[in-house]
Amino acid sequence: MSTGRHEGQRLDTRTTWRRPPVLPILVIWAVLTVLLLLFAPVPARLMGRPASPTMQEIETTVTWFTGLSAPVAALVWAILLYSVFRWRHRGPQPPPEDGSGRRDNRRVFTIWVLGSAVLCLFLLVWGLVVIAPRTSEANPAQEPILVDVTGQQWAWSFTYPDEGNKSATELYLPVGQTVAFRVTSKDVIHSFWLVQLGIKVDANPGETTVATVRPTQIGTFQLRCAELCGLYHSYMQTTVHVVSVADYEAWAQSPAEAHS
Amino acid sequence: MTTSVTAAPSPPVAPVTAGGIMRHLNVVTGIVMGVLLATATWWVTSSTFPVLDEGDHKDDAVTILTLVAWVIGFLIGVGAFVGPARWLLGRDLTVEDEHYLAGKDAGVARYFRFTTDHKVVGMQYLVTTMVLFGFGGTLAMLIRTNLITPGSRFVDPATYNSLVGIHGITMIIATIIMVSGPFGNFILPIMIGARDMAFPRLNALSFWLLFAAVPVLISSLFLGGISTGWSAYAPLSDQANRGMDAFLVTIVTFAISTGVAGMNITTTAVRMRARGMTWSRTPIFVFGTVASVALGLVAFPMFEVAMIELGMDRGMGAGFYDPSIGGSGWLYANLFWLMGHPEVYVILLPAIVALMEITPVFTRKPLFSFTSAILGIMGIAGLSLFVWAHHMYVAGWAPVLGGPFMVTTELISIPTGLLFLVLLGTLWRGRVWMRLPVMAVYALLWNFTIGGITGIYLSDIPVDQAMHGSMFVTAHFHYTLMGAGLTGAMGALAYWFPKMTGRMLHEKAGAIGFWVAQVGFNVTFMGMFAVGLAGQPRRVADPGTYFRVGNLISSIGAYTIMLGMLTFLGAIIYSWRAGSVASASPWGARTLEWQTPTPVPLENFEVLPVVTQDFYGYGEDGHRAAAGAPAPGTPGGPGAPPPQGPDAPPQRVEVGAP
Ligand code: HEM
Ligand SMILES: [Cu+2]
Ligand SMILES: [Cu+2]
Repeated sequence: MSTGRHEGQRLDTRTTWRRPPVLPILVIWAVLTVLLLLFAPVPARLMGRPASPTMQEIETTVTWFTGLSAPVAALVWAILLYSVFRWRHRGPQPPPEDGSGRRDNRRVFTIWVLGSAVLCLFLLVWGLVVIAPRTSEANPAQEPILVDVTGQQWAWSFTYPDEGNKSATELYLPVGQTVAFRVTSKDVIHSFWLVQLGIKVDANPGETTVATVRPTQIGTFQLRCAELCGLYHSYMQTTVHVVSVADYEAWAQSPAEAHS
Repeated sequence: MTTSVTAAPSPPVAPVTAGGIMRHLNVVTGIVMGVLLATATWWVTSSTFPVLDEGDHKDDAVTILTLVAWVIGFLIGVGAFVGPARWLLGRDLTVEDEHYLAGKDAGVARYFRFTTDHKVVGMQYLVTTMVLFGFGGTLAMLIRTNLITPGSRFVDPATYNSLVGIHGITMIIATIIMVSGPFGNFILPIMIGARDMAFPRLNALSFWLLFAAVPVLISSLFLGGISTGWSAYAPLSDQANRGMDAFLVTIVTFAISTGVAGMNITTTAVRMRARGMTWSRTPIFVFGTVASVALGLVAFPMFEVAMIELGMDRGMGAGFYDPSIGGSGWLYANLFWLMGHPEVYVILLPAIVALMEITPVFTRKPLFSFTSAILGIMGIAGLSLFVWAHHMYVAGWAPVLGGPFMVTTELISIPTGLLFLVLLGTLWRGRVWMRLPVMAVYALLWNFTIGGITGIYLSDIPVDQAMHGSMFVTAHFHYTLMGAGLTGAMGALAYWFPKMTGRMLHEKAGAIGFWVAQVGFNVTFMGMFAVGLAGQPRRVADPGTYFRVGNLISSIGAYTIMLGMLTFLGAIIYSWRAGSVASASPWGARTLEWQTPTPVPLENFEVLPVVTQDFYGYGEDGHRAAAGAPAPGTPGGPGAPPPQGPDAPPQRVEVGAP
């Protein structure tokens, strides 16, 4: 980085990157990068096993972002660590001599800007490419199952227009089929969050918003409200049952009360 | 020493009459007037307003008007309108009046009245900021205490929601003012070589508006609390209890205060810089603070409008946000985030630039790449006006705009990266004199890396779909607001403390408190990231047993923060009263505020400085320009010559005052 005179202007014939402080910083950087890369799968682990392709995609993105930011964070922290241990001046007085008077470094500036632009471009492409199929999912080959979702202080209710407007207070979904939720609210804004399925959309009074998902795991999952909606917001949750198609059919045929 | 360096000793009779009616007005008369006017308003409105059938708007209308009356009454009582009134009567102020207003020879009393001296205003802001942090921090501890165990056993959900809301808005207000209030007022004018702010009376007004807003904010505790979170989403805020009225009056008052302060600081920086202080010689702190307050000038009116509409909804049934009569919660959300996103940079920028001022001093190196710093600040300030809807990705409002807003949001990472470059480049190969102020640089760079990277996760729409409204967001913004913003402000306080109080901040106690708080901070919010990823929504009184461990960790971290902050506060209070006396320039820094004596005389400079080069010329020509910086503890004394070694380059020439 800096080619400036320093450390007594010893004549050092090694190329820039092999001279201190660059080499030791590179080493710290490499170590930190490896550590952070080892850490990269952790966030996705915390998010739990994905129960839909959407959630799968999100966890992949999170892991990639963590991995890609590893070298960036490691660079910042490597310089900090080295600076703390090697460049520190102790004592009640400032160091007797000023540091180098260098104010700028074109090359570093250029590399820095280009580097962050490339990373940013990557993020943009990544993000936009992932959104693109999502919008086309609105009209998939197979008709999605419709579920009307209504939030109200402090409970969720569901109606299934395809099943003779069957209504329920716990969500039943067949595995492997695309479901489209039409979400609205009776009072204030709530947010319809299927935690392990990785979708969320606000329930707005007077509006209907749509979210689609294809559950791929049989099991029970959580639906939680993700927008502060008043007194019992934290209890505004219910169970999501993703069941086999046969079980779903059976449930759909059963009388309205039988499920709870 | 005496503080009068500007005028010949005034004739003995002058003090008796100078100031006119202002002699009798202070914070006590303000409070009395405020309470009187509020009581009268309450009585009149509650006995005359009709109760309409279709809604209980009367209570809200009465509450709003009463609180507004308090603010106006307080301002009248403290004398904020005396100046304009005298102009209307065609009686302008005499020089003695001006001096009286500036608090000349008034001792401690000048902190308790409408004093125009920017240094007094800066101190008032400093103390107010610390009080707000103490209040907001106490609420935070109550929140974390409730979350130690599942089941919301410590407080009931209603109280919990109020705590969250009041904590949030208190901290937002505190962080907005924490740097530009104390240091933007006290330090900035001296730093640019001015005798005061451009509009001293507006300066006092901005502080007393803030002061008037604080009791209103606290009154929400007794009016049912702020049960909506600081974002006050409508229509929830339409139906919330009367704490909401206190909230909106607080915001409107505060928005006017920041508007007044913003205009004042901007004008001061543009118009009042010393001779020779071209833009390229202006310290970076000035750029960043001006960018911040100017951004606020654009942003806060949005909030103000949103709150006035909310007030009309609540007090008159206007229905701006009520879908059943054609309103929309999305209108509110847009207005709110049009303020909300720029606001986060309003908070961050002054903290970062304060550290940019500090780093060169303690590395004895010039600020690395001034251009990058300017580009970074301008890029952030510009872009941040166009990203607000990343808070609304899942709102359902205009899903097609998700892509564009993702683009603008992710673009911000480029100018943000430039700020990192400046700090790292300045640290690069610098012999770091490891004192408390510069420690904040290390802590900030650590925390802000995490805050920035998690921001990028959130800017990705699919990821935000999972993370929005979860504790992950809470952790993200605490890493930026507290980990970066507040950390920077603490560094700034340690740095300018000697100039402002005349004493050194106790280094050991301060540093211990600082680092304990930093460790606690990272524990708290790492735990919060974890529970957020695992699916815990934010603002829940009872997260459930699944998140027990993560929440326990966060709460332990929070108690650690408290310990650290109390230690830091103890260091401040102790040092302020009994710390070792500081010299005029204990750090050997070059900016102008260090070239004037401590305590700073009434009009700052005996002779106004003329600037011939910028203030970062460390290490140039092999000189050590600030040589001879007296050791801490040696009083600089009045009019001490600025520290200049015999071989120092002629960095400034002083010319006589006009
Ligand atoms: C590095 C660039 C940053 C990016 C890309 C970013 C991105 C985001 C996004 C997308 C959200 C919305 C999350 C959601 O609610 O779903 C968010 C929330 C937030 N961010 Fe950032 N952010 C960045 C830096 C910052 C900084 C520097 C600050 C403050 C100094 C900040 C403060 C906040 C706050 C306060 C919120 C949440 C407000 C609330 O919901 O109460 N962010 N950020
Ligand atoms: Cu809710
Ligand atoms: Cu934002």
